[in-house]
Amino acid sequence: MSFTNLEKTPMKPEYLIICVEDEPDVLDAVLRDLSVFETHFVLEGFSSADAVRDFLTASDAGTIHPALFVCDHMMPGTTGVDFLVEVERFGLAAGAKKMLLTGQAGLQDTVKAVNHGHLDFYLAKPWTKEALVESAKGLLTAFVRDNGVNPLPYMNLLDAEALSGMVRDDRRLTDR
Amino acid sequence: MNRLQKAGLILGIAGFLLPLFVTFDGLSFPGHLALSIFLFAAFFWMLEPIPIHATSLLVILLGVGLLSGAGPIFSGMDPAAAMDLYGFKPGSAAAYVGTLANPIIILFLGGFMLADAAVKFNFDKNVTRVMMRPFGTQPKWIMLGLMTVTGVLSAFMSNTATTAMMMTVILPFMSSMDKNDKFKVGLALSIPFAANIGGMATPIGSPPNAIVVAASARAGHMISFMEWMTMALPLVILAMLATWWLLYSMNKPSVSEIKLKQNSIWDTSTKAILFYATFGITLVMWVTESLHGISSNYVALIPIAFLSMFSVMEPADLRKLPWEVLWLVAGGIALGVYMEETKLSGWLVGQLDWSMFSGITILGMFALIGLVISNFMSNTVAATLLMPLAITIGVTQGDSGLANPTLLALMIGLGTSFAMVLPISTPPNAIAMATGVVKTSDMAKSGLLVGLIGIVLMLLFSVLFWNHVVH
Repeated sequence: MSFTNLEKTPMKPEYLIICVEDEPDVLDAVLRDLSVFETHFVLEGFSSADAVRDFLTASDAGTIHPALFVCDHMMPGTTGVDFLVEVERFGLAAGAKKMLLTGQAGLQDTVKAVNHGHLDFYLAKPWTKEALVESAKGLLTAFVRDNGVNPLPYMNLLDAEALSGMVRDDRRLTDR
Repeated sequence: MNRLQKAGLILGIAGFLLPLFVTFDGLSFPGHLALSIFLFAAFFWMLEPIPIHATSLLVILLGVGLLSGAGPIFSGMDPAAAMDLYGFKPGSAAAYVGTLANPIIILFLGGFMLADAAVKFNFDKNVTRVMMRPFGTQPKWIMLGLMTVTGVLSAFMSNTATTAMMMTVILPFMSSMDKNDKFKVGLALSIPFAANIGGMATPIGSPPNAIVVAASARAGHMISFMEWMTMALPLVILAMLATWWLLYSMNKPSVSEIKLKQNSIWDTSTKAILFYATFGITLVMWVTESLHGISSNYVALIPIAFLSMFSVMEPADLRKLPWEVLWLVAGGIALGVYMEETKLSGWLVGQLDWSMFSGITILGMFALIGLVISNFMSNTVAATLLMPLAITIGVTQGDSGLANPTLLALMIGLGTSFAMVLPISTPPNAIAMATGVVKTSDMAKSGLLVGLIGIVLMLLFSVLFWNHVVH
C-alpha cells in the first residue's frame, strides 16, 4: 500500500459506467440519475450496442475498465441481451457487472441474459431514480469486491458497511 | 508513480551510491557497505517507490550480497583476516536469511493464525456482541464499550482488520444519525484510535512491537509476553480512558440512546470449537511463561501446528495470511543486525556526545521522533530506522540507567503506535477517513492531543514504573 492507496478519492477515476440506450431522452435521464457516481467513475452514454463494441475494441482497450453496464434491450442492431452475452463470451469487460434496464425483454430473452450473459440485475422500466441508484450502488460494490480493487476510496460513495467488511474478510489492508 | 515516490527512487539510489564513492572518517569499509544499505532502505521505506515489504526483502538480499561470506565481496576471505583488516567478521548468510524465521516472526505467525481463524469463525463479531452488552445504550458508555472491545481485539488481531470489523458495527447506526451530530465524528475516530492504542497491549498487537522485542533481545533482554503486558497494559488502559474522555467531550451527542444491531451467532462446528480451545490454550501458555518457562515465541508454534493439523486453517486460509507484514519486520530486524555487526550504528551515534543528555531526555527525544515520523510513514519502518541508534545509545548508557536498551526500544515502539494525526498515519485512520464522516482537521486535532498524552504517559511510566520492572 502506498500513499495514494490511502487517499479518500482515487487520483483520477479509472473505472467506467457504460449506459446503452437508443432513445436520447431516456439515455439523458439514465445519465442524469447516475451522475452521483461521477465523482469516482467515468460515466459514458452510447446510443447503440454497436457503438459500445467499437469503443471497447478500440486500440487503447487495455486502458478501459468497465465496472458496470446499464443496458436497454430493444435497440436497433444488436439487442441488449445479445450484447451482454457477447460481452461475457468474448471477455470484452472481464469482471464488469451487468444490469438490464428495460420494459420489453420477454422471459426468453431474460433467461438467456441470466444464463449466458451473467446478468446481475434486472430493472424494469419505468424506473425510479432511487431504485436505479441503489441497484447501481450494490453492483458497483460487488465489482469492487470481486475484482480486488482497493475499497477505501469508494467507501463514502458505495456501500460502506460492505466495503469495510471486505477489508476485514480479505485482508485487503494490513497493519504496517 | 507520484512525485514523492520518484524522489524516493532517486534519493534511495543516490543514498546507496554515496558511501561507495565517499569515505567517512572512522567508519570501516563494511560500515560503508552497511551505510549504503541503510540509506537505500531509509529512502525506499519512507517514500515508498516500491512496496515496503519489497524494500525489506531487498535489504536481506543486499545484506547477503554485500556483507555475508556468501556474497562476492567477502567470499573466500578468511574471517580472521577480515577481522584484522576491518574489525568485522563476514556475516552469516544463513543468519541474515534467518531473520525471516526469527523467533519473534514465529510469534507473529502464531498470532496471525489465531487472528485469521478468529475472522473465519466470526469470533471477533461474537466477542463484540457479548462484550458490548454491559455497556447499555447511553452514547457515552457505548463509545467506551466500542473502544474497549476494539482495544481488546486489536491486542490480538491486526489493528486494521479490527477497525474494519468495528466500522461495520457502527456504520448502520451512524447513517441513521442526524447529519450535523458531532458525535458521529467522535464515534468514527474512537474506533481507529482505540485500535492503534490496543495494538500496544501485547507483543503481537502491532508490527512495530516485533521490532522492539527483537532489538531488546539482541541487546540481551528477551521481553516475555507477560512482561510486555505488565508494562504496556496499564499504559493502554490510561491512554484509552483519556482518549475516550477527549473524544466524548469534543463531540457531544444530540441523541440520548444508541441501539447497535448485531446478529452474529457463535459458530459451534467442530472446527470452530477446536479453534476456541487452541486459542484458550495458547493464551494461557503465553501469560504463564514465568511458571513453565517456555518462551512465548515457541508457544506460538502451538496454534500454527494445531490449527493446521485439524485443518481448522486450510491451505487456502494459509495463503491469505498477511505474509508481507512478516517480510517487512524481518527486513527491519536484518538492517539492525547489519548496523550493529559493522559498527555502523556506533559510528552514527558517535557523531553526537550523548553524555550531555539525561536519561529521561534521551527517552523523550526518541519517543517524540518516533511519534512524529511515523505519522508520515509506516509505524514499523519508523521503529526500524530509529531502533539501531537507540539500542546503541542504550548499551553505552548501561542497563542500570533510565535510557537502557529495553526502555528505549519500548519508547520508540509505543511512540510510533501513538501516531494517529493523519489519514496516512495508520491504516485504521485511513479506514475512518474513508467513511467520509471525519474531516482531516477533526482527526489532526484529536490525534495530536492523543499523541501528546501518550508521550507524557510514557515518560511518567518509565520513571515511576517500567524502570523498576526491567532489569
